[in-house]
Amino acid sequence: MTMFDHGQPTYAEVNRDVLSSMLETGPRYWMLLGTTMTIAGVCFFMPWIYQLIVGVGAAGMNRNALWGTYLSNFIFWIGLSHSGTLLSAVLHITNSQWRKSIYRSAEAMTLFSLMTAALFVMVHVGRLWFVHWSFPIPNPMGLWPNFRSPLMFDVMAITTYLTASSIFIYMGSVPDFAAVRDVSTGIRRRLYTVFSFGWRGTAREWHTLGAAYMFFAVFVIPLAVSVHSIVSWDFALSIVPGLHHTIFAPYFVCGAIYSGTAGIVTVMYMLRKFMNFERYIGEKHLDYLGKLLLVLSMLWTYINILELFTTWYSGTSFEMEALDFRMFGFYAPLYWEMILFCAFVPLLMLFRKIRLSWNKMLVVSILINIGMLTERFIIVATSQPRKFLPDAFGFYFPSWIEFSITFGSFAIFTTLFLIFIKWVPAVSIYEVKETLKPLRRDA
Amino acid sequence: MAVLATFRYEEDFLAGAERVKTAGIGRISLMSPVPLEAAQEVLGLEKSPVRRFSLAGAIIGAVAGFAMAVATALVFILPTGGRAIISVPPYLVIAYEMTILLGVLFTLVGFHIVSGLPAWRDRPYAPESNIDRFVVVVEGAAETDALRAETILREAGAEETRRVEDGQ
Repeated sequence: MTMFDHGQPTYAEVNRDVLSSMLETGPRYWMLLGTTMTIAGVCFFMPWIYQLIVGVGAAGMNRNALWGTYLSNFIFWIGLSHSGTLLSAVLHITNSQWRKSIYRSAEAMTLFSLMTAALFVMVHVGRLWFVHWSFPIPNPMGLWPNFRSPLMFDVMAITTYLTASSIFIYMGSVPDFAAVRDVSTGIRRRLYTVFSFGWRGTAREWHTLGAAYMFFAVFVIPLAVSVHSIVSWDFALSIVPGLHHTIFAPYFVCGAIYSGTAGIVTVMYMLRKFMNFERYIGEKHLDYLGKLLLVLSMLWTYINILELFTTWYSGTSFEMEALDFRMFGFYAPLYWEMILFCAFVPLLMLFRKIRLSWNKMLVVSILINIGMLTERFIIVATSQPRKFLPDAFGFYFPSWIEFSITFGSFAIFTTLFLIFIKWVPAVSIYEVKETLKPLRRDA
Repeated sequence: MAVLATFRYEEDFLAGAERVKTAGIGRISLMSPVPLEAAQEVLGLEKSPVRRFSLAGAIIGAVAGFAMAVATALVFILPTGGRAIISVPPYLVIAYEMTILLGVLFTLVGFHIVSGLPAWRDRPYAPESNIDRFVVVVEGAAETDALRAETILREAGAEETRRVEDGQ
């Protein structure tokens, strides 16, 4: 099994194939973009505006359940963002060749997932116009943020992650921007001249980019681990039964990489199918991603078993009650659906035949992410409304606004991704060339 | 005027660059569609100074992050259940994030300073070097030296040599 399913392309073919996917746009693309933009507007922004007008009470959250779908979606999207940049950075440092044709889109996935997650914070806080209070800047009331709060860790971590991921993907794209510049005319040429910083591909430029890129990768790896650890501390540093677990940080990081890797499989399928990248994204990529998913699913299952064990072993009645509600209460069907999709379905990837089938892997990857979305919902919806004594018990069920905004967020992500693939080469041109055998006189 | 030579094969390109370098003619730039360690060795490029920017950024970030958290706590005192106003463990998390943030930003600045980018002025460039050709550019050479460079590069296997405007 080689990296290229349909024979090794030449350098010039790589330029031609990747740039044509970016520069040639058919009516199908515009129809899809129009559809996703419409869904985003109708399902996400309109209900959000309605909620801004009538207040956050329009959502299903109540006095005993102050956190709901918005926060579970926030965790989901942050999680989905995890594999792109993290996987790309780890594989870059270890010099893995198979990374090179898939990493650009995976990193874009990181960026747009993060943007979508950040939107959910704004939706959740209700009074959007006070969101700047979370930053350490003077304001007329003399209020300053409390850096002892994990919510402030979140602000710092996500701001840093968004900045670092944007720089990471941008700098990796500079040589490819120059390739776009060279085949463009008019305004597009001027734009890409600016985007590429006047890149010429000299040895000094490559040398400096290589060094800087390596440092970006080195910085991004601990950052990615810290981001989801910090997101987990939003929950674990509270004393709420069902959330107050020391295992939450590795649990969240593992879950994030798991759902992110499943997201990469879904995105790769779409790129192959609709952008004609069959030549560059092959069975080898699918096989490796499948094996990675399999390992992650087992790790995720192990951590889930540990969570059950530590709760049982602690013997705390509040923890046992929370666990009982999670496994056998109103949301029990969702809990068992999560176990089915995230612990059992991925075991199908033990079979090579499944790992090498794009259609089957697409189904598995989507099921995993449905399971992970459910997992995030269960964490929020089955713990906060079941705090300690029965008189503090409440119930949370999302309102139609929350369902709509959740659905709309997928359209936002898709819209951003569709715009991205027409502005940035979705496959790294120069890194794919690096995997090819150079043209030699004696060949 | 600068001399610009285009090569089809990597080994010819490296040999030509090596010979021009040994002959001590002008300033040499080597362009390639992919990063080539061998080309960097020809030019004698050592470890990139970008790493110093990264280190400086990381140290400044760590100190600034911790200082920001402390200063914020002192400006707006929030006594909570007898806990310390300056609480070290959570402030280390802020310092950690700022270490990475400024480390990344300083690395970016370092890249721009060391690589000389952005560079908007016209400089000798062959767009084919971004596709599948390797290019040697010799700048700042006197006419006789430029002729000598052209001869050396053609002998090394250049497909084409041409004169272009000097970048400086």
